[in-house]
Parts: sequence; C-alpha cells; structure tokens
Amino acid sequence: MDLDALLGCVTSSSCLVTQTTSGLIVGMLLFMVAAGLTLIFGVLKIVNFAHGTFYMLGAYIAYSAFMFTGSYVLGVLAGGLGMAIFGVIFERVLISRVYGANVLMQLLICYAVVLICDDLVKIVWGPDFYAMGMPPAFQVPPLFIAGGVVPPFYIMLIVVALAIGGALSLLLGLTRIGKIIRAAAHNPNMVSALGINTTLLYSLVFAVGGMLAGLAGGLAAPVRSLTPGMGFSILIESFIVTVIGGMGSIGGALIAAVVLGLIRSFGTIGFPLFTEGLMYIAMIIILVFKPSGLFGKEIV
Amino acid sequence: MLQITNLTKRFGGVAATNDVTLTFAANTLTAIIGPNGAGKSTFFNLISGALKPDSGSIVFKGEDITRLDRAAIVQRGIGRAFQVASFFPSMTVAENLQAAIAAHRGQWADLTHRFPRQGVRERAMEVAEMLGLQDSADVLSANLSHGDQKLLDIALALALEPSLLLLDEPTAGMGPDERWKMIEKVQRLWRTQNLTLVFIEHDMDIVFGIASSIRVLCYGRVLAEGTPDEIRANPAVIEAYLGTPDAEDDV
Amino acid sequence: MGRIFRDIAIGILAIAVLAAVPHLIPGKAFQDFVIRCSSMALFATSLNLLVGYTGLSSFGHGLFFGLGTYSFALLMQRTGISLPMAFIATLLINAVTAVAVGAICIRLRLIYFAFVTLAMQMLMHSIIISWVGLTGGDQGLQGGIPRRVVAGIDLGNQYNLYIFAAVVLVIGLLIMRHIVNTSFGTSLRMIRDNEARASFLGIVVWRVKLTVFVLSAVFASVGGIVMSLFVSGAYPELINWPISGDAIFAIVMGGVGSFLGPTVGTMILLLLNDVVTRQTEYYGLALGIIILAFALGLRRGLLDFITERLGGRPAGGIS
Repeated sequence: MDLDALLGCVTSSSCLVTQTTSGLIVGMLLFMVAAGLTLIFGVLKIVNFAHGTFYMLGAYIAYSAFMFTGSYVLGVLAGGLGMAIFGVIFERVLISRVYGANVLMQLLICYAVVLICDDLVKIVWGPDFYAMGMPPAFQVPPLFIAGGVVPPFYIMLIVVALAIGGALSLLLGLTRIGKIIRAAAHNPNMVSALGINTTLLYSLVFAVGGMLAGLAGGLAAPVRSLTPGMGFSILIESFIVTVIGGMGSIGGALIAAVVLGLIRSFGTIGFPLFTEGLMYIAMIIILVFKPSGLFGKEIV
Repeated sequence: MLQITNLTKRFGGVAATNDVTLTFAANTLTAIIGPNGAGKSTFFNLISGALKPDSGSIVFKGEDITRLDRAAIVQRGIGRAFQVASFFPSMTVAENLQAAIAAHRGQWADLTHRFPRQGVRERAMEVAEMLGLQDSADVLSANLSHGDQKLLDIALALALEPSLLLLDEPTAGMGPDERWKMIEKVQRLWRTQNLTLVFIEHDMDIVFGIASSIRVLCYGRVLAEGTPDEIRANPAVIEAYLGTPDAEDDV
Repeated sequence: MGRIFRDIAIGILAIAVLAAVPHLIPGKAFQDFVIRCSSMALFATSLNLLVGYTGLSSFGHGLFFGLGTYSFALLMQRTGISLPMAFIATLLINAVTAVAVGAICIRLRLIYFAFVTLAMQMLMHSIIISWVGLTGGDQGLQGGIPRRVVAGIDLGNQYNLYIFAAVVLVIGLLIMRHIVNTSFGTSLRMIRDNEARASFLGIVVWRVKLTVFVLSAVFASVGGIVMSLFVSGAYPELINWPISGDAIFAIVMGGVGSFLGPTVGTMILLLLNDVVTRQTEYYGLALGIIILAFALGLRRGLLDFITERLGGRPAGGIS
C-alpha cells in the first residue's frame, strides 16, 4: 500500500490527467465488452462466459486485417464484423441447445469454447505475443493537457467508444428492433406471444454483443499486447462491470466500467498489488447492499 | 381461532389488503371469494408470513403472530397449499410427505440419523390415505396428474397437523368432475381432521354448496361476511361481484 | 442401518484394493494419480453438496480448497503444532471463514450467488498474492511441510501418503454420504426443489443453507490439506479461479445427481489431463472438444446418464 503516492498523484494535475485518461480507456474498452454481455444476459438470461474470447478474436482478426490491408479502420471493422458472424454461429450451434439448462451447463460449454479458441489462436497466430503498434495516423506527438501526457489515440478511442455506446442506446431506444429487444429483456414470453421470431432475435442479440466485443478487441489492439489468454482478464472485469451496473442495464455498464477503469488506474498507484482486490471488494459491497446492481431491475 | 385486525399491505401505492378486520371461528369451513385482484392471495400470504403487513395485527389462538417468520407460524399450526401446486418434484409422493413430516417434527436440521426416522414412513402413508394418494406413493411427484399434484400439495400442508389450513384455489385448473371430487375430499378432511379450514374459490356452486361461512373481498377491502344465505342476499355483493354475469370466466 | 454398514464395507474394500495395487503396478504415476484424485474428489464432492443437493451454484468454492492448502502449510511451517493438530485447526479456520463468507453469499440467488462467491475467492486470491510476507506472494509457500511423521508413519513417503490420501478420501466420502442421507440432507433437496414450499413446511432455509455452506467448505479444505501434502506447500494457482472451474467441470461431467458423480468426474478430468497433455500440446483444444461432446451429447453427467439408462428415475439436480 502506498497512500503517499496516491495522494501525490491526485494532487498533481499531470498525474491526475494521465491516470484519468488511462483509466478512461480501460473503462471504455470494458464498457464495450460489458455492454454486449449485459445485453445478452438481459434478453436471453444467458451468461456468456465466452465473451472475453470474442474480444480476443476481434483483436487478432483486426491485427491480421490491418497487416493485410494497411488500414486500421478496416482492421477494426473486420474485427467487429468477424465477431458478429462468430456470435451468430456460436449462438445457433451451441448456446441455443442449452437455453433453460442449468447455468453450470452453459458455463461448461462456454468454457470449452474458450479453451478451443485459445488453442486455435495458438495454431493460427502462434503462441507468442503480438504488438500491433500504433497505426500511422496516430504516430504523432502526444498532447499535453494540464501537464499530463495524453496520446491522441486515447482520445480517439474514448470518442469512438462513446459514439458506439450512444448509437447502441439510440438503436435500443428509437428503432422498432430496439424496442423489441427491450421488450424481450423485460418479458420474454410476451415477445414470442406477439409472434416475433425469437430465434432471429436471439441471433441478432448475439451478433450485436459479438460485434461490440470484436470492435473493442480491434480498438484495443494498438495499445494491448495480443496473447492467446487475453480474453480472460477482460471477461472477469466485464463481469464485475455488469454485476455492479446491474445485469441488463447498458447505462449502468457505462458508469460501472468508468468507475472500474479509474479504480484500476489509480489503484495501481496506491495499491499496486491489491488493485484487483479493490475491484472484488467493490463488487461484493454492491452485491450485498444492492443485489441487482446499481441500475438493475429489482430481483425478488 | 384467528383474529385479523386492521390489516393493511401496500404494493407501491396500491393497497392489496386494505384495513381488513375479520375473525375465523374454530372448526369452521370458510370460503373467501372476490373478483381477480381482490387481494385474496395477498391475504393468505400475510397470514402465513410470506409477506409482512404494513400495519394491523394477526392473532392466532390468542397469540400475536403478525411479526413471526414463516417457520414459526407453521409451528403454531397454520398450514397452507398453493394456487399452483407446490411440492418437491424430484421426490416420490411418499418422500414428499416423509420430508414434510420430518420438517414438522423438527428433524430438518438433524445431521445424525438417517432419513426417514422412525415412524415417519408410517405417518406419511396415513397422510397419503387421507387424500387417497396411497396408491401413488412411489410415483415421482413430477409425473403425477394435475389433480393429484394439487392433492399432494394439500397433503404436505396436512403433514404439519395444522389446526388452521389455508387452501388457495384447491380446484384451480380442474375440469368440473375433478373439481367436485377435490372439494368432496376437502370437505371430508374438514369433517374428520378437526380443522379450521379457509379456502379461496372462484366456483360459486362450490362456495355456496359447502362453505359454512363466506368472506367477500373486493379491492383489498372486506365487502361482506356471513353465511351463504346472508351473502346471497347482500346487495353490495350482488352489485360488485355476483352481478357480473361472467364472473366465473375470469379465472 | 444396514446401508451405513454396506457403505463402510465398500469403503474398506476400496482402501484394501488401493493398498494392494502399488505392489502389482510399480512406478509412482498411479500413486500420484490417486493422491491428486483424492484431493480433487473431496473438493468436487463437497461442491456438489451445494450445487447438486442444495441447488446453490457456487463459482468460488476454490476459496476453501485454496484456504485449506494455505492454512495447513502455514500452520506446519510457522507454528510447532503437530500434523493432526494442524489438520483440525485448518478445518476450524475454514469453518469460521465459511460462516462469514456464507452469511454474505447465501442471501443472494442464482447467478448473483455464483458471482459473489467467485468474487470472494478472487478477493482471497488477491489478498494472498499481495500479502507477500506471510504467503510468499506469487511464488507461493515454498520450503516444504515439516514434521510429517504421524504415529510412526512418515507421510513424506510416497506410498504412505498415498494410503493416507485414500483413507481420507474414503472417510470424507462416507461422512458426506451420511450427511445427504440424513433428514438434513432431505432438507437440502427440498430447498433445491422448491425453496418456498420448504419454508412453508417450517424449515428455516437460511440456517440450512449456511450449515451446508460451512460443511462443504470444511470438506473442501480437507481436499486442500491432501493437496498441500502432495505439493509440499501452497501456491496461488491452488486458490485461483480455474481450481473452481475444475471442480465444476468434474461434477457436471460426472453427474450432479449421483453421489459418486463428482468422484467419477474428477477421474475423467485427471485422466484427460494426463493423457491429453502427453499426446498433444493443444490440451485446451482437445479438452474443449471432449467437453462439448459430453455436454451436448449426454446432456448430463456420465454417472447420471448411466443410472438413467439402467432404468432408474431421473437423478434430479441439474435440469
């Protein structure tokens, strides 16, 4: 524990800015992964334990597409699109067989997919670390805001993630399909009673969730090293985010993701060895006092 | 036997049970009727401790049980069966009853003796016989017919040797023949087991056919109480309830 | 009464057979296998008290397995107490921890219970990683387990440890078997099947849940003690999330509805582990495919599948 360092940081504007922005990009990436997770849970009541794998595969696909086309934008889009397709296949071939089954059976199937994909990545891309490197457009000197160093890429990442989050809220709030998704999250029986094709709806939800995770992976690729196990830590953290924010609540996921990102980035200064412990404590406290999360529907 | 005074329970702004004051005398067979949403099930939930009232009191055999938890209320002798038959689907009929009897005998935390302990098996068969379930004793309860599942639910409550038995729509979801068979069994139980029995029912033929007294709830309030004849003649009841020609169809 | 004696007789027979096997099959691989199996099977069966019998899906049961290894190793290394005393003290430490953790967790339902138990385990993992002075941090507790001679038997000897593990496993399984066959065990099934009905029959549900939580934690820590003796210490991997994953894997593979399901599942898991890692470097790929074949093919654990095929009734539990 190093409270002096933490105090030193929060009282210095340069450290404050640097840590806040790095906390925000962690938070934004987490938000994109967690938003898909919480959407899938909200509509299908399935906890997708393979969601971190979507993120990992998105990053690898983005990396390869970037290497092939030289365009970072195409790389990220390839990651998102690839994972949207993968999400649909995953839902149709595997998850659709265990709707209504015990959560442990669902867990086991997702666990199998995680194991398989980690090894497939090793086979296709090799077991070594990859670094995508900054795309050329962002190889520019960093900005200095109030003495803090802020790479332009970080700002782009935060803006893009917020834009995606905004687009998702608009999709859910204004479009017909969005209304159906929200209705399904609220009352699944009603939706099938209304004659809506739930099979299509469920695939769509997995496509959107997969796409979000794939995009997050692509966006993260320049600032994270790519390794076959990279999906796991983000999975655990995005679970914490969904639980704290309230399972099924996208707004809650955004707030919880930012909070968690900040806990992480300031935690590494104040409690370098116990940063993760802080996140678990936050999760336990929230669950104990508000089991449905900050913004979740009350559970009986 | 059971005395309810000014009982109120609100959900949000709606009072599901609103200032209800009622008495149930020992060894009576009372029907509770009222349109859907009248607060009949809420009323049962309050008596059995599933819900805590916002105000008012419930006195059972002279003891205030308003704030007691479910288990304590069961111990005082109040058993209940549910609108949707509620039992233990992975167990056979006999195991269901043995489990209930073991619970009733305070053996549910017993970590030393094998289940079922002495006498439990025999008692379970007795209870099964009371409701004519003895031939299905070894049937997995999940595989029972709907009617038998309702009987099993009642049998579970009977295993507690209650002095007050609350039955929430014992005939729900049954065809006309089945209904009367069920209600005959309920009536026989009441006669032979020295019970005070309160049941919720929608079928007016059944209610007026067997109940010794009737309580009418409407929007959480007591609309009327009395003998079947008094209820039949009560203008408020006719207005609010019996006046609706298709009241039975709303079930 | 008769069935208790039958179970005990089967247990004694199993120990006798196991004691004889090393004289027929030389080499340490089999003994290693049985020791690891004993540790994991105790752990998995204890988890099944929660999952299969009570319907409480814990994702963080590894907390108690790991805490068992660490408390036992620390007591042996840092204090002068004898091995049996350390054994008992470890069970007590776990019981007390489980009361505190359980009191918080059992209020939550379903997936929330699963997550809060996982968070509890990961919190303990973080504490162990960061408390370097006591636990050795991410290097673990090295330096071995001293004073291994109990009543003239040296548990440092591979064969002796092997017999010890087998005996502990059999005794542990017999006690858990007895627990599920008592009226308390029936209360567990009632809560799993229909918690509300159980409460209206006079069962104080939270008390039953907390009791079974503590009991299962204690048996998990026994598995941890065996593991600690086997690896001569305690390591962070033994309290990290995959250890809970392994136990869940074992019980779902073996069958949550059969008492010996988790033990069978543990054997499957360890066999797969040993065989597959020898054949291919792509262990995850092979294991993943096998899991999918199991999960989608049988749709239930192996032992549940067999009992149903043999004409028994559905084993209950997971569905």
